[in-house]
Amino acid sequence: MASPTAAPLPRRGIERLDLMLLCAEALDLNGAEATLWLSEELGLTEVVSDRVELWKQRCHNPLRRHVRRGSLTPSETDALIQVLCSQSERLYPLLRALLSAQEPLDISQQRWALFEERLRELIRERLNPRRSGVQTLLDPVGGAPQRRQLIRTMALAAGQGGFERLKASLMDASS
Amino acid sequence: MKQTLRFDQISCRLQVEGLPDVSAGQGSDAIGIVTGWNLQWAGRPELEGKKEHLQALMQAVLPYARLLLSDAPRLQHSLDQSVQVTPAGPGVHRLTLRSSQPDTPALEVSLDDAELADLVRVLDQLRLEPRLQLQLELPAAQPLRGRQLQARIPKRQRLAAPVAALLVLGVSTAASLLLPAPKLVNVEATTSKPTPRR
Repeated sequence: MASPTAAPLPRRGIERLDLMLLCAEALDLNGAEATLWLSEELGLTEVVSDRVELWKQRCHNPLRRHVRRGSLTPSETDALIQVLCSQSERLYPLLRALLSAQEPLDISQQRWALFEERLRELIRERLNPRRSGVQTLLDPVGGAPQRRQLIRTMALAAGQGGFERLKASLMDASS
Repeated sequence: MKQTLRFDQISCRLQVEGLPDVSAGQGSDAIGIVTGWNLQWAGRPELEGKKEHLQALMQAVLPYARLLLSDAPRLQHSLDQSVQVTPAGPGVHRLTLRSSQPDTPALEVSLDDAELADLVRVLDQLRLEPRLQLQLELPAAQPLRGRQLQARIPKRQRLAAPVAALLVLGVSTAASLLLPAPKLVNVEATTSKPTPRR
């Protein structure tokens, strides 16, 4: 494994981080508000001060309609990861229900359909549909493994214990 | 006085019992010496053991969860090889626990993603519990290198580009061999004398 550095998140890491925040919004209608509220709870208001600042940071995702150049600073990265881990903790019952094989199949399918419908709406609204990565995410069949992977990542990164794990995975070399 | 820590999730419950290590100056509510632990799973046999077994479980499960986050799961085992976790199909993970007792067969448990997440959460809660004042030998989470991430790309997809390149090279070489060689021309015979200028 590579040694940890204070290097900025690679492009793919920023992409995944923003997509997971988007998934959190798809799971919770008040997800955007909750993100701000959680950043306040975690004492991160200096980094994530308001909605505009949060939007500007998330616009480093290369899949966005309006992409910002440059990269996130280490403090911005840590703040967003902390917020995501707290969001995942809050949404853990929903994440777990989506991942569980013990749930009745029809109920599980309904849950996935509802989540995917909301996620599709958010993706169409905020991401660039000409990017192949966005087209894959929108693909009902081809994008399913990626959507499941995002949900699984959130479940395994939930809470304080997930921070280091998630940060290390977002710093992975681009493959 | 004996202390008990309990961590609950939907599919499992981890209970750790121990005593404060008074010689290390630990408070009365701390656990510095683990006397035993048990992990109860809904519909599965209960696990129990000593501190070493608990540490082995964490050494295998937490790095495996780390790899899952990168979508590159592969077999992970504890330092003493008594616990191992491996992918067993989409959304399924096989946990194998070898008993330290002789003639006791290994226990295999299949976990879905949700059950694995529950297990990771109770282990995380234990790891971060301030009352547990133990040095646990756990590897730190690290970013993966490109080579380690190759496993998540199917072999066919990974080999497609080099195979196509070799094919194109072979075909173009064969085509160039089929072209007729240029005829040799006697330069002296064909060269005409320069005409004098007027």
